[in-house]
Amino acid sequence: MARYGMVMNVKTCLGCKACMAACSQWNQTPFWAEDGGKWRTRITELEDGEFPEVQRRFFPTICMHCENAGCQSVCPTGATYTNKDGIVLIDYDLCLGCGYCIEACPYDARYEYEKEDLEKDEFYFGEDARHHQVHIDKCTFCVDRLEEGQEPSCVATCVGHARIFGDLDDPNSEIAKLVNTGEAKPLGEYLATKPKVYYIK
Amino acid sequence: MDLVQQHLWGWFIAIYLFFGGLGGATMALGIVGELRFNKGKWFGIGTALLGLALLSFGLLWLVLDLIDPFRFLLAFWIKGIGSSWIARGMLIIMGAYIFGILYVAAAFFESKTFKKWMGYLAMFCGFGVTTYTGLLLNANVGIPFWHTPALPVLFTVSAFSTGCALLMWVLAGKNDHESEHFFHAVESFDIFLISLELLVLFAYFDFARGGNLAVVKSAHLLLSNPLFTIGFLIFGLIAPLILEAYASMKENSKGIAAFASALVLFGGFLLRYLIIWAGVFQYPHGLAG
Ligand code: SF4
Ligand code: SF4
Repeated sequence: MARYGMVMNVKTCLGCKACMAACSQWNQTPFWAEDGGKWRTRITELEDGEFPEVQRRFFPTICMHCENAGCQSVCPTGATYTNKDGIVLIDYDLCLGCGYCIEACPYDARYEYEKEDLEKDEFYFGEDARHHQVHIDKCTFCVDRLEEGQEPSCVATCVGHARIFGDLDDPNSEIAKLVNTGEAKPLGEYLATKPKVYYIK
Repeated sequence: MDLVQQHLWGWFIAIYLFFGGLGGATMALGIVGELRFNKGKWFGIGTALLGLALLSFGLLWLVLDLIDPFRFLLAFWIKGIGSSWIARGMLIIMGAYIFGILYVAAAFFESKTFKKWMGYLAMFCGFGVTTYTGLLLNANVGIPFWHTPALPVLFTVSAFSTGCALLMWVLAGKNDHESEHFFHAVESFDIFLISLELLVLFAYFDFARGGNLAVVKSAHLLLSNPLFTIGFLIFGLIAPLILEAYASMKENSKGIAAFASALVLFGGFLLRYLIIWAGVFQYPHGLAG
């Protein structure tokens, strides 16, 4: 039993989007989607501050794996659940596809994996296609890779060491230190969702 | 703060919420008419079935809104009942069907006590359906304009007002003494409900003034949309209120009341559509750019 989390260091993110590419290849998420909105992880370009002190920054986001997850509490069938390691997951077989969780997530972490996406998945990945039914999709912390002792694919490819993954309950881990010293903070604390993804800004 | 208007839910969900609320209220009010106003067994049977038919029509749109409508059977798998309003809603809706149909059967075979009990249970579930349509939206923490206690109250009051409107239509064609009596009771109740709705709306927008950025944006979207101000507020609420109040003071004014009812129904639908349309996410800064 662990309590997995991630720290995003916005200061060191280069905006290269290698994480988006790696994630979409590993998890076969719809990089083909035309509106550009179907990613498990996104890098948003921000222009912060007032002129002339404008700063261009890159802001990585994923599902925050909330401890108090709005998506899970609205899910009628129990398809959305939290596993023993604190990872919020979706059981595709149980997902009704009502989209209630998309409306309830305050971090815009979920999207619809639709029929067209299934066809494209098969087109690009052939026999290795991993999605076989429509469902709601989002970041899983690459739970399948964790089982094999690997890091999530975005973390493994990150050039700027902007993504730090680990067990929040292990006081010696890099991530626990960043979180416990207060250097890394969650987004939107007022939402009371208790995210397990933290930011150094 | 990044404000983003929601686009996932639209007409389909609005139609579902409207017909769900209308169906639940019609059944509940119809049964009151039969049990308390001696409207006779056929009235009770007719309105209960009408309510269930409207509810079914609404549910159809919910199913059509699923990513894959053929997966709808999963909706009966209500493991999330502890916290999900869709799951709870399914249970309430199933209750409405079961007790509604038992009530119809009992009324048909004139089994008095059983009919009374089933009638009350069906009424309770009908009432539940109307409130649930508001609670469904209310549960979304990400959309602060929906996440306020005023919303379920507003939807419940509006649903009963549309239920009254529909019953007035049904009753307008009948001239017997009981129907007249019940017609006027429904009419007065609707006048009360519309006034209450105006009050709740006022409170809703008054809350919004002190709310966070997303709430203010939602309220602003609505108040600057003529469909809301002219369509809903004037034609869907104030006009029918004046017309019904006028009709209630005059003899032979069922025509006016029936016209007012049409406006109420139109307004009820617009209200749901617009509230959904005006849902604005308030994402922490950085998420939406
Ligand atoms: S970020 Fe959204 S999808 Fe992820 S756990 Fe929190 S509420 Fe659920
Ligand atoms: S779309 Fe699927 S995961 Fe989301 S709330 Fe509905 S059933 Fe649950």
